[in-house]
Amino acid sequence: MSFRVAGRILGFLALSAFLMSCGGGGSSTSGPTTSPVSPPAPPPPPPPPLGPNDAQLKAASAFASKSTFGMPYEDIVDIAEMGHEAWLDEQLALEPTSHLEFADELVRRRDAGEFKPADDGILLTITFWRGTWWNRAMTASDQVQQRVAYALSQIFVVSDIDLLRDNPPAITSYMDVLLEGSTGNFRDLLLNVSLHPAMGIYLSHVNNRKADPENNIFPDENFAREVMQLFTIGLFELNDDATHRFDAEGNLIPTYDSEVIREYAKIFTGLSYSGPNAWFGRWRPYFREPMQMFEEHHSQGPKHLLGGMVVPEGQSGMQDIEMAIDSLFNHPNVGPFIGRQLIQRLTTSNPSSAYVERVTDAFNGETTGVRGDMKAVIKAILLDPEVTNPSIPNSFGKMREPVLRLTALARQFNAECEDGLFYNNGYTMNYHGQQHPFNAPSVFNFYSPFHSPAGTLAENNIVAPEFQITTATTVINMVNLIDLGLFHDDRLFSPSEPFKPTNINIDEYVDLADDVDALIDRLDIVMTAGRLDDATRLRIKLGVESIGTEKLDRARHAIYLFAMSPSYVVEG
Amino acid sequence: MASRREFLTHSCGLGVAAATSTSTMLSLGFAREAAAHNHGGDYKALVCIMLAGGNDTYNMLTPYDQDQYDEYRTFRSDLALKRDSLLPLPENDEGRTYGLHVGMRDIEQLYRQGEVAIVNNVGTLLEPIDPVALQEGRARVPIGLYSHSDQQMQWQTAVSYSRSATQGWAGRIADLQGPELANGISMNISLNGTNVFQSGELAVPYNIHATGDGAQSIWAYGDDGGYNSRRKQMIDDVFSVDHDNLLRNEYAFKMRKAIDNARTFVEAMQQAPEIQTPFVDQRLSTAMQQIVRVISVREILGATRQTFFVLIGGWDHHDEVLNNQARMLPYVSYAMSRFRDALREIGVYDQVTTFTISDFGRTLTSNGKGSDHGWGAHHLVMGGAVNGGQMYGTYPTLHQNHPMDTGRGVFMPTTSTEEYFAELALWFGVAPSELDQVLPNVRNFYSPSSSETPLGYMMS
Repeated sequence: MSFRVAGRILGFLALSAFLMSCGGGGSSTSGPTTSPVSPPAPPPPPPPPLGPNDAQLKAASAFASKSTFGMPYEDIVDIAEMGHEAWLDEQLALEPTSHLEFADELVRRRDAGEFKPADDGILLTITFWRGTWWNRAMTASDQVQQRVAYALSQIFVVSDIDLLRDNPPAITSYMDVLLEGSTGNFRDLLLNVSLHPAMGIYLSHVNNRKADPENNIFPDENFAREVMQLFTIGLFELNDDATHRFDAEGNLIPTYDSEVIREYAKIFTGLSYSGPNAWFGRWRPYFREPMQMFEEHHSQGPKHLLGGMVVPEGQSGMQDIEMAIDSLFNHPNVGPFIGRQLIQRLTTSNPSSAYVERVTDAFNGETTGVRGDMKAVIKAILLDPEVTNPSIPNSFGKMREPVLRLTALARQFNAECEDGLFYNNGYTMNYHGQQHPFNAPSVFNFYSPFHSPAGTLAENNIVAPEFQITTATTVINMVNLIDLGLFHDDRLFSPSEPFKPTNINIDEYVDLADDVDALIDRLDIVMTAGRLDDATRLRIKLGVESIGTEKLDRARHAIYLFAMSPSYVVEG
Repeated sequence: MASRREFLTHSCGLGVAAATSTSTMLSLGFAREAAAHNHGGDYKALVCIMLAGGNDTYNMLTPYDQDQYDEYRTFRSDLALKRDSLLPLPENDEGRTYGLHVGMRDIEQLYRQGEVAIVNNVGTLLEPIDPVALQEGRARVPIGLYSHSDQQMQWQTAVSYSRSATQGWAGRIADLQGPELANGISMNISLNGTNVFQSGELAVPYNIHATGDGAQSIWAYGDDGGYNSRRKQMIDDVFSVDHDNLLRNEYAFKMRKAIDNARTFVEAMQQAPEIQTPFVDQRLSTAMQQIVRVISVREILGATRQTFFVLIGGWDHHDEVLNNQARMLPYVSYAMSRFRDALREIGVYDQVTTFTISDFGRTLTSNGKGSDHGWGAHHLVMGGAVNGGQMYGTYPTLHQNHPMDTGRGVFMPTTSTEEYFAELALWFGVAPSELDQVLPNVRNFYSPSSSETPLGYMMS
């Protein structure tokens, strides 16, 4: 971290955007290279006599890697000192760092001619949303909210189809909705997602008109189906621990049928873009406000919803939607259905029934008295005793997906960027990992929550969603992506010109590299949170020593081996 | 295969009366089974092109006769293609004429040459359905009809009665035939990452890139006696460790295997001959070109049976179906036809069969902008062993209030995915007695001991 770099950031960014990205303070949880300049630097306070012990540091590291995009050593120390719950409470109370504001800033500065594309090329506005995502992952101080919002983006999936990619506000304003939802109430989140133009485009309920039977035109059923199947209740009735319920004959109990889908399809008619001079059927999207209702295109008449709820005749379209959202939100499946998936995205692929049930209880308001309180859900997931003391250790944990492997490498090793933007167009990420945020192949995300690779894991009924995109190609290409970040200057990210490259800074590890054991000890705190087994430790040590005595070479190879090692790639 | 073809030619000569006797059918089945396993040193490949999202095939193959075209136009309203834009194909067996989308001139040509067959109104089914029972809600139908995830799964698994299937029918074939070649590389090769279609109990697809030598290797890893060798040693060492945690072990296993396979695969691909047939720089085209290169080194890889999987997304046209298909169908047509030329160039066209799958057909009626999720759909099969220039199955006779219309012009399928796939599996060398293992529900539509293949679109 250097003040020189930070000084340039301050000169470069508008002050408001800068304060957003830094949380307005000098907290050491603010991520790499974002310390604000404070003239003249005061002398550092004397170190406290006793810091956290080794076990506390490892526990804090494990906690950080589940709840953030990755934390460097000094922030791990802070978390250990502060205590997990206190730190988490502070995180959840932060003002969310807006993506839309940063995208707007990029557009404004592009229009002002500040960004000069190389070789008379065209500045690729289509990657502005990606640049924004990486800037926030790298610099936002509200790391937990950003990480949870990313998890939510894998449940409320929209993908960067043309119309969304071409408009910087599309995915960035949607991301802001998810950020708000990460600490808000699930009902509001569901409503906001349903009315967001990006979702309207992705699941095609924008400009969805009421039935016109004479012309054989019927409401689009796409959103109506997925809002049930994927965003709230799933296909079958669940117990609170997310296991299936069965009827008297031992059959699964479907939550809805085609009739129900048709009824909900009627609900989501009449929506189109809002904004200046709005009219129904307009094709030019407007992303800054929720879609608005055009009553004359909304299906009139009663509609039969889940749980026997009937939408009465004669109310407004938005009243219809509010009732439909209530009917979904209050379904008993939502807690276990969403809770289990959030657990999988944050802590473990195979939570015990008891763990899922505790999270369902939190969702159902048994701790706070408020159903759908996302803060309570996130706390229940991250602070659950099973996370630190798994009931079945040999299936506990989750594979770090490709995106999270890159964010962790960058943040754990103090990524720096000369222009402070940390711009990444995501092309190398996508190529090497076959994954990028908001680039899932379908509304079914990158992987199924139930994916179980054939072989040992399937035989043991262990699911491992991330293995669905773990192929003979990607395991190797992810090693090469780490190689890019460690051994090649400026290749950690792929910024489009004229944005500046991002580089990791491993100076503090180079300093340790005369003593390979000390180097490995430090990496076992930051990267593997104490999970490094003796056999792997010995092999890493021999490998690092085989490279010679040059400290930079040693530090690079140590991190290289850690970053590909099973103990790192599968978090425990 | 010659023996099997000859045998069947003879068996047809036995006469109708004899063929109806159960014992004769059984013995015919056994004979075909014997023939199936007697493939000696020959080579066969199945190439599956998945048009993910649900191709709107009523605009890929459209009624051309005026009366049926008019019905079609009534259903489709703003989604109807212009009749004079269609590429009419020769009259089918029922005296009906259908036209291909104008963007598929290459496919039209191949159809006329007898190299492409069209299988009509194929879809997922549990059992043959009586339309009346369906209308009255008494018919058993697949779970998750009209849902992308379910129908994409079912087209790959051929299991439409359960959501727990994690194996695809090419995966099960690979399990039967030995999922891996002697060098450890899977006989199932995917251009689009892990997929269910090619995953079996043991079989795991081998994923390659569409460019370069396909397989990627770890950089600066090798046997140069210096730096690369030291890197190789340290990496191999790290992945030699056993872990108690099963996910960790699985990852280490995948890495070891990937390293081995990449080395073997690259060594083989570097010996591929130059392919003269031109391909354009388009995703499907590039993928098909890479498949030709892999097939060209089949002997070096030691492969006698291979399957290939290519997924091309973006077919979920709730919006803009006309414009999108006008853009996308031509590249399917182009890529298939160049693939055909290149296979002929390397002399294996008769041994490679290419077929399409998709989530489902789409509603004939419009949602005002596009079409929604449907059920039955029409599909293409191409190859030198295809009885092409014909349509198989039944193209629904379109009219309003049709008993087979489940609503909004969603026609129930009249040919099951099981029949569509069994034809391919039998050609590929799956023995009739093994067909149940590959297609668990096949007996609801076809008796494996039958003397005839299910649809007849493949030469036996």
